[in-house]
Amino acid sequence: MFDKLEKTLAPVAEKLSTNKILIAIRDGFLISTPLIIVASIFLLIANFPVPGYSEFVAGFFGEGWESNLTVVSNATFNMIAILNVIGIGYSYARQLKAEPIAGAAVAFVSYLIITPQVHPEFVNEAGNAFRGFAFGNLNSQGLFLAMITAILSVKIFAYVKDKGWVIKLPEGVPPAVMSSFAALVPSMFAMVTFFLIRLGFSQTGFGHAQNFILEVLQTPLMGLGENKLFEIIYQFLSNLFWFFGINGPAVTNTIFSPIHHTMTFANQAAFLAGDPIMPYIFTGPFSDFFGNFGGGGSTLSLVLLMTTMAKSERMKQLGRLSIIPAIFGINEMIIFGLPIVLNPVILIPFLLVPVMNIALATLATLGGIIPYTTGIALPWTTPIFFSGWLSTGSFFAGFFQLGLLALGCLVYFPFFKILDKQYVEDELSPQTIVSDELDDISLDDISFDDL
Amino acid sequence: MRVLLFFDQTQAGAGGKEKPNVELAVEKGGIGSYHMFEKYLKEIDASVLATMYCGNGYFFDHEEEVKRKVTALATKLKADIVLCGPCFDYHDYAEMSAIMAQHLEETSDVKAVAMFAKENSDVVEKYKDSVKIIKMPKKGGTGLNKSLENMSKVLKAVVDNDDKSTYEEYLY
Repeated sequence: MFDKLEKTLAPVAEKLSTNKILIAIRDGFLISTPLIIVASIFLLIANFPVPGYSEFVAGFFGEGWESNLTVVSNATFNMIAILNVIGIGYSYARQLKAEPIAGAAVAFVSYLIITPQVHPEFVNEAGNAFRGFAFGNLNSQGLFLAMITAILSVKIFAYVKDKGWVIKLPEGVPPAVMSSFAALVPSMFAMVTFFLIRLGFSQTGFGHAQNFILEVLQTPLMGLGENKLFEIIYQFLSNLFWFFGINGPAVTNTIFSPIHHTMTFANQAAFLAGDPIMPYIFTGPFSDFFGNFGGGGSTLSLVLLMTTMAKSERMKQLGRLSIIPAIFGINEMIIFGLPIVLNPVILIPFLLVPVMNIALATLATLGGIIPYTTGIALPWTTPIFFSGWLSTGSFFAGFFQLGLLALGCLVYFPFFKILDKQYVEDELSPQTIVSDELDDISLDDISFDDL
Repeated sequence: MRVLLFFDQTQAGAGGKEKPNVELAVEKGGIGSYHMFEKYLKEIDASVLATMYCGNGYFFDHEEEVKRKVTALATKLKADIVLCGPCFDYHDYAEMSAIMAQHLEETSDVKAVAMFAKENSDVVEKYKDSVKIIKMPKKGGTGLNKSLENMSKVLKAVVDNDDKSTYEEYLY
């Protein structure tokens, strides 16, 4: 049965994790991730979730001190479509073996070409309309358009470059100048294309590509993200892949992460604006911090059982080695060393516990027991309790995580006991194999001494 | 079939990347990541006599000593074959496995194979003609199950002295 399952899963995983466009989008987001995390820290400092904090700091820096920190948020959260169009342009160009920075630049410019540049609703005293780009077109509202723009513009760029339709300069010209001119014709094709796209949309009821993509693509996809089963499906699939030794999130993120990211940024925008209503539950932080404690399969629960209640030497030793990494969400040693991979006994809790965690956390969020995640992005290795507390602003959410952890231990317990018992038996049974055939080679105290 | 395993500190469960200097040691039976593939070994009636392991830094600092001692122990225990792997894409472990397998094949009656991912491209290139290296995916890659199945096929074929053509599709 497992063979059949693996035969269907492995090719899917292979296709998804080698698809150039999906890789480019996934890797493109990685470029903006550290910036978003730092900006989140600024946001966190401005809004540290401890009562009385805001007034305390106001004592030093005066009232309204928080608003000074919003410049960092505006430079990052409110520019997220731009950050990602550059990141995705860069990584897609790299995939297609074109000059990555040229790809990033073309993607950036192409996006600006189709973005509104004049805003007649804002007029100054002289009657001139505001000229510039509005955050509303550069932030998470434009995220899907950014993805499409980056891919399309770089594809055109790389295609033209590969066809050889470039200006070749004579020998002796410095390489930097050569490659700059080489980018000219390909860039032209991309920019003309996007100019035509802009013209095209201006003739339609949508007015701009942003509106079109928002209505036709982004909103329906976000609808998927709002489906209550969205996160459960993600967790289930990611951990199912791990069971076969395949890096689950690497595969599932190719599809799920654009939606996760968009929901995260939308919540951040609401948080930034001081809006008490958060649009989405299943943000990236929610997924990272309320599904799996200690890594895929929520193995921190299992490791806790191993260190405290195991009877077999093997479990005890492995538990001791894995407990510190597990606090930071790393569980490679457990996945390959227990092993979890291809081990049917542990499959059920491995799949069930994260699904249960997410289901309970979702219900708790809907029921108002814990707040929505604010979209504040933290490194996925942030330890339990801190991650829940800081990503929602509520201590209770941290305690809720601890509760889920305990529940996970309960679910893992019977399966852990079966495995432990098996290992104890293995350890006690004598090595019967070979001693009969051969001149008594005892295996009981072999060592490398005297060799 | 009498099998010996040759692991690094990670596969033996003696530590991670931060512990490259684990001293050469041996334990009875199979330990660490042996449990990931033990069912495939049972299918070919192979029993693991012992697992030898050392840190992947220790190996290169004491290469001659490790090679000599491992070969001596494999000979003393009358092992049929030594499996140096599975190394996934751990480059240092892959390199020490290739070196170890080559030494065993050249200086003793004990057969040896290595097993690691193609991401260790320079090690593959350097040793593919002198060492039987079984193909496997990198950590988190697809095809792990199949590669472990292939590994047991190769082990059996090598110990039975089958013609290389019957198993060379599983090697580099």
